[in-house]
Amino acid sequence: MKKKIQWGKFSKPMILVAFVIILTILRPDSFPTLGNISNVLWSVSVYGIMVCGTIFVFLVGGIDLSIGSLCGLSAVVIVKTIHAFGDTEGGVAAGIMAALLVGALAGVIHGFVITKFKVPAFLVTFATSSIFLGLSMVLTNNKIISCLGPDLFTAIGMMKILGFPIPIYVMLIIAIVSWFVLRKTPFGRYMYAIGGNPAAARLSGINDTGLTFLAYIFSGISTALGGIVLASMTQQCMASTGSGYETEVITAAVIGGVSLLGGEGTVPGAIFGAVIIGLLNNGLNLMSVPSTEHGLVKGIVIIAAVAFDALQHQDQAKKGFSFFSFGKSKKTA
Amino acid sequence: MSEKGETILEAKEIFKAFSGVPVLQGVHFDVRKGEVHALMGENGAGKSTLIKIITGVYSKDRGSIFWEGKEVEINSYKDCQRLGIACIYQELSVIPPLTVAQNVYLGREPKKGGLIDYKKMNEMTAELIARYDFPLKPETIVANLGIGQRQLIEILKGLSCNSRLLIMDEPTASLSGKEAESLFSIINTLRKNGVSIIYISHRLEEVYRLADRLTVLRDGKNAAVLDQADIQPLRVIELMIGKTVDESAGSSKQMRVSKNEVRLDVRGLTDETGRFRDISFTAHKGEILGFGGLIGAGRTELVRAIYGIDKFKSGEVYLDGKKLNPSPKRSIKAGFGFVPEDRRQQGFIPLLSIEKNVALTNYDIVKRNGAAISDASELAMCKEAIKKIDIRPADPEKAVGLLSGGNQQKVVLGKWLMRDLKVLIIDEPTAGIDVGAKNEIYELLESLAKQGVTVLLVSSDLQELIRVSHRILVMRKGSIVKEFDKETVTQAMVLAAAQGLEESKEAAS
Repeated sequence: MKKKIQWGKFSKPMILVAFVIILTILRPDSFPTLGNISNVLWSVSVYGIMVCGTIFVFLVGGIDLSIGSLCGLSAVVIVKTIHAFGDTEGGVAAGIMAALLVGALAGVIHGFVITKFKVPAFLVTFATSSIFLGLSMVLTNNKIISCLGPDLFTAIGMMKILGFPIPIYVMLIIAIVSWFVLRKTPFGRYMYAIGGNPAAARLSGINDTGLTFLAYIFSGISTALGGIVLASMTQQCMASTGSGYETEVITAAVIGGVSLLGGEGTVPGAIFGAVIIGLLNNGLNLMSVPSTEHGLVKGIVIIAAVAFDALQHQDQAKKGFSFFSFGKSKKTA
Repeated sequence: MSEKGETILEAKEIFKAFSGVPVLQGVHFDVRKGEVHALMGENGAGKSTLIKIITGVYSKDRGSIFWEGKEVEINSYKDCQRLGIACIYQELSVIPPLTVAQNVYLGREPKKGGLIDYKKMNEMTAELIARYDFPLKPETIVANLGIGQRQLIEILKGLSCNSRLLIMDEPTASLSGKEAESLFSIINTLRKNGVSIIYISHRLEEVYRLADRLTVLRDGKNAAVLDQADIQPLRVIELMIGKTVDESAGSSKQMRVSKNEVRLDVRGLTDETGRFRDISFTAHKGEILGFGGLIGAGRTELVRAIYGIDKFKSGEVYLDGKKLNPSPKRSIKAGFGFVPEDRRQQGFIPLLSIEKNVALTNYDIVKRNGAAISDASELAMCKEAIKKIDIRPADPEKAVGLLSGGNQQKVVLGKWLMRDLKVLIIDEPTAGIDVGAKNEIYELLESLAKQGVTVLLVSSDLQELIRVSHRILVMRKGSIVKEFDKETVTQAMVLAAAQGLEESKEAAS
């Protein structure tokens, strides 16, 4: 029994290693190059950055469906601000501030409506997703706005340090910060407690509504950061810039073992999930699978990952305990 | 009363043991047509086991069950429904967005051409409602109804399958006085129509009022079967507890703690909705103050308000002479600990390890390295808790959801022991816990009291209440009605006070 648990602990790195080995064997020339690996990580970085904040929302048992369109809105905000400042470096600084502020504000709105009016997070963020997209449309007139300078702006997405582009470092830094907060501070522990059993958390003196509020603000800020990086990578923005990213982020989290029921998941796990998606995309490209079929394959992989996870939980249920039954119904007893 | 009907259900010589521990030892129980037969007994007397055998949830080890004179085997709830027995559960299973009629005929809808015949369904429901005079309408959406009316729908459901025996388990537990009255009049109508009812209740006054006969169980045996004329409250209490009550309950080795200084002073505490009213008491340093009473007497609500989970309307709480404005966070800071009644729902975080559950309320005392929690200090705290109260397995990494009930409770309790406690509030500390762990928890509470901690203990287990408490306050319908000293109290006295028998005596004299 002990052995099995140990194996479970390392199952994620093992899957990652297996992926790398398989791709190396199948495409020995194009896959295991520094350029390609750097490319994979670069493409992963935007939703890698986003998931580091959104994981707080998942942990308290919520969900944020607006992150795709909020990412787009942040991209629009930074580009418009830079243009408003005449493409100066000061404009870049102002743009970053403005985009982060928009993200934080979105989190405040989410947190307020969800905790004060007790509206399901799913509905609230679904609605604001439409609002953010609409705002971006209005701001851009539904056109692509390109932004090729100043250098400070393009450097965020493109400049390389030691062979790796800056977004990868941004992802690493925010992942470390997020990991540290969740793993090492009482605040982080409280997130797990709230998602694991809100009633018990409240009895333990934890301000569950206040901390849930903060979780949504973190999600908003990390999403805005993702939007800034994305705008710089593509050197442009449009309303639909970030659309679909919410699915990538949720998929990364779920593959990484973050429970959408709350109370379970880690930052390394979520980043692992993001990297797996990146490798999957990369592998499909290198194997010349037509892009029309990518969705199909990804969907199957997600179901397999989630089913595998559920299966592991069922094993534990057989030992007299189910992760999924808690706080749901006590009738089964 | 109407003449005695023929026997409809008879259970003879029922034996049942769980892993070697006998729960029912030759119980006899019979119900006649058109009678309300009450079933009473202390917690653990075997009432619910007997009912579960009758409804096919458990299988009996020995004995036989007769339905209308013929021996039957009941192996599932379906079998029991087929015979015409329906159980009205405490946890209601109605579906709020549907109408009354849709709920009553759920899964058995009358059909016309493959579609549900709503007209007929409503007519059938209306007919049932008229026959038994229920205060319901077939087309009302259930979401708009109160808990009492929802319970009536469950009864209607049973009647719609032509059930002739209804089992009601504590049906008034969550009803208001008015709703209960309405239920009683329905029960009378049912009885007149020849429906039999097994009525399980802790409340003597209801049994006294409704029952045609009463079976009292004690320690898995029949203590008595009484006819209506013989149902006398004090006699029933004696039967429930038995003559073998340990009269030495208040052993003299007790130290007199009431001489100690007052630690907690509660004055005139009153709840918004009247679940407790004008509660005043003091608790001393090192005292274990027990709260007795029936379920629903307001004890849990009272201690929750003192700790600050629920708001109270008026009154004050003083700790060591200082007025508190209770909220869990402030209470913890002031030196309170709280072990809730429902361990699974409120006590612990099942996915988190023992270590993290123990640390949850204690991050103000766990050491830090800069901003980071010191893992070593956290682990040391957990190990101390594991050692102090013998949590098993002694594995800090183990998720608390995977532990046994007793060990889960130790974790919930353990996190408070790591702090400088002044007051520990503990609600039904040993519900669903095995005997060994029970004793450990009692010893723990006693040693805490010796160290000067004030313990507020809410318990429905009379033996436990009397064994552990230094002083007992009995609550009834939201008020404290009686105070007992450990030296003089007996289980019968607590139960009588909880049932309100003392009051009525005084009123009569």
